[in-house]
Amino acid sequence: MITTYLNRRLTPILLALLLLLPFTALAEDAPATPAETVCLQCHAGQPGHLGAPVGLWRDSVHAANGISCHDCHGGDPTDFAMAMSPERGFIGVPQADAIPAFCGRCHIGVQEDYLASKHGQALGKGGPQCVTCHGNHAVQLASLDLINDKDCTRCHTYERAAEIREALAATDARIASLDTELDRLHRTGITVKALKGEIFSQRNSFHRLFHSVDVNRVRAETAGVQANLDKVAAKIDTIHSDLSQRKLWGGVAIALLLVAGVLFILLRRTLPPHEQ
Amino acid sequence: MQKLKAIIDWVDVRIGVKELIVANTSGYLVPRNINVWYSLGTVLLTLFALQFVTGILLLMHYIPDSEKAFASVEHIVNEVPFGWLFRSLHAVGSNIIIVALLLHMLSVLFMGSYKKPRELTWLSGFLLFNLGLILCLTGYLLPWSQLSFWATTVATDAAGAVPVIGSKLVELLRGSPSVGPQTLGRFFALHVVVLPLALLALIGVHLFCVRRIGISTAPFGPDARPATVGDSFHHEEHPNGIPFFPHYTIEEGAVVCFFLALLLAVTFFVPELFIPISALEPANPYVTPEHIKPEWYFLWAYQTLKIFPSKLLGLGAQGALMTFLALLPFLDRSPERRPAKRPLFVALYVIGLVLLIAISFWGHYS
Repeated sequence: MITTYLNRRLTPILLALLLLLPFTALAEDAPATPAETVCLQCHAGQPGHLGAPVGLWRDSVHAANGISCHDCHGGDPTDFAMAMSPERGFIGVPQADAIPAFCGRCHIGVQEDYLASKHGQALGKGGPQCVTCHGNHAVQLASLDLINDKDCTRCHTYERAAEIREALAATDARIASLDTELDRLHRTGITVKALKGEIFSQRNSFHRLFHSVDVNRVRAETAGVQANLDKVAAKIDTIHSDLSQRKLWGGVAIALLLVAGVLFILLRRTLPPHEQ
Repeated sequence: MQKLKAIIDWVDVRIGVKELIVANTSGYLVPRNINVWYSLGTVLLTLFALQFVTGILLLMHYIPDSEKAFASVEHIVNEVPFGWLFRSLHAVGSNIIIVALLLHMLSVLFMGSYKKPRELTWLSGFLLFNLGLILCLTGYLLPWSQLSFWATTVATDAAGAVPVIGSKLVELLRGSPSVGPQTLGRFFALHVVVLPLALLALIGVHLFCVRRIGISTAPFGPDARPATVGDSFHHEEHPNGIPFFPHYTIEEGAVVCFFLALLLAVTFFVPELFIPISALEPANPYVTPEHIKPEWYFLWAYQTLKIFPSKLLGLGAQGALMTFLALLPFLDRSPERRPAKRPLFVALYVIGLVLLIAISFWGHYS
């Protein structure tokens, strides 16, 4: 009797636990990852200029590409005690004159062109360095918008800068357009990593020209970049052609299924009523 | 043809196959007022079969290793001939199956077909529905994308709310303190071996129950009356019904075609409908996406957890609801099945359905 009683009481509970299993999928927002670097864990909670870089960085092109604090500032991102130890390669904040070398550890080509340009030659004499135009922690993907009347006229007149901007505009717009197209393809599940890499490379080569601030060189080297972009565009066209074919055959298959469904209904109507 | 006939005759002499075929096709009469909702079982069988086929094809190229899983799925979609099609059919198909399962359950509820003597049919069907959800959940992790990783982290984390054994339960589900290669291993084994076998067994039980007790008459029309069910087994006959084959099979064929057309329409034209952008990025334990939302069919439960002040209460409420649904035939013992004669049930049914949809939308936009 007791067993029967317990069975009656326990069965719903056990069933409830069993049926609950799929619904454990539903929690609130995701928990904070414990794997965040110690730099972020510590600085994110700090007020003022010590915490502000974290928020700025999160929306940056660096964050989007997995470049974190320690990639630029050095140190140990896994150890709270040694995170800012020079022994672990901590650099900290560079002096203004040292910024091109600081950024140039990764952006090697840009640094070369910058140092050879009028801008670079004025380094330490009031001339601009990387963060003057790009900002620091909130750094965004470089675009032509960085060459504008308001920013350039902080140091000199805008005429020459406007001339360079005009020479760069068409190719830069094409790079941006191809990049957007690749993003659209990626959204449909197509792997575009290699093509994105090619665009990334072309953008970098092309943006190196920005730093030369030499309009003749920009005009001379644009053709090479355009030729490489043509190759990417041709591959995108091939993918689009494949996708169109898929849709065509998919459309045909759907139409056939719908026709089959309607035919089944019509066929059913032609069947004589069943007599016992 | 002569040879085929000879083979059939040979088999027939030994196991009476012709009699079996006739008894289950043209000789098997189903209610004359059977409607389109009854076809959903066949639709589900077709869709499950398609999942098995596409799943096996995916299995040929998928690598259940956290270092290689995402790349192997990318390889399937981009390099393997028609791999994109198998993958999309499998992913979209799982969602269409949930739609069909929900419609099947809702129609059975509305027509009162769960009532005595079909309690076991309902219970096996309800367990199949849950098994379908668990299959979706385990399959979700396999591509090892950002969505997979974090959705599974959140899902397994919720089990920690169970008192006393919570942390052990989480570790049991994950195979390690956090989601990792061990989790992928056990979810893979569950998804491709354990759960499909359980699904096949349960489908067998469900079909056996349906066939053994007989198909229920739709509770509509002037002749509809509450069935009188005795205490001894009785197969419900329909002497004035229509043959299962060809009459009803053809009707089912039409519904199957329309469902397959829907599946292909999503697969070919809007595959991204069920594949969020975070499913296209490889898993990264160092980057937590801002908002992780469950699949649409879990949104109601996701929002329920947010409504209740504690996760345990939320899980308890969901468990109570699911238990209530599972045991409904044992609680609702009235033989009346006509909706017009069950105003309280119909009112609760509509309110429940509206609530479910509203909470899901709330969960989506919250």
